[in-house]
Amino acid sequence: MKTHIKELRARYDLTQEDLAKKIGVRRETILFIEKGNYNPSLKLAHDIAKALQTTIDDLFIFEDE
Amino acid sequence: MKGKKEIIVATIVVALVLLTLFFYLMGTGKIELNQIGLVGIALVLVGLAMYIIWDKIRNVQKGLPGKDERTISISYKAGYYGFIAAIWSAVFTPLFFDVSSEYELKGGDVAAIVVLVSAFVFVVSYLYLYWKGK
Repeated sequence: MKTHIKELRARYDLTQEDLAKKIGVRRETILFIEKGNYNPSLKLAHDIAKALQTTIDDLFIFEDE
Repeated sequence: MKGKKEIIVATIVVALVLLTLFFYLMGTGKIELNQIGLVGIALVLVGLAMYIIWDKIRNVQKGLPGKDERTISISYKAGYYGFIAAIWSAVFTPLFFDVSSEYELKGGDVAAIVVLVSAFVFVVSYLYLYWKGK
């Protein structure tokens, strides 16, 4: 699974740490989601999408799409 | 606050383990080779536990949580591996000593080995999953 988190973070001038603080997770969790090494729960995916003012559909790219 | 409490409890546990090891070594007098191995594994475990605690402290100091859904999921997976290791080590440790040497293990020895093996597998798989990401 790939994501647009990095691009959206850059758009809102947020570091991984800023985003992590905003949604209450560790910085490494954001790093691993960005790298596609960790699949977040639906709630975390929703929180990230909300923090980046987008939708889950626009945030994550599933391999079969 | 919850993260801080966990850090304090974990630090106390590590300190108690170190204190127990210290008293054990003081009381033993002459240390045998197999005891060096067991104490060595315990010290490695303490070192790895201290690394995990330090990592949590670093996050809490930055205003980030000490644990989140990823670390909780990693703990569950590592706990599962540790549990499996405990079962298999309880089965194979007496068997291994029976076949490979004349030395017959006492119940206490087997219990100590099972605890050390499962703790070792837990900590190693926790750190592996932590660095791998899932």
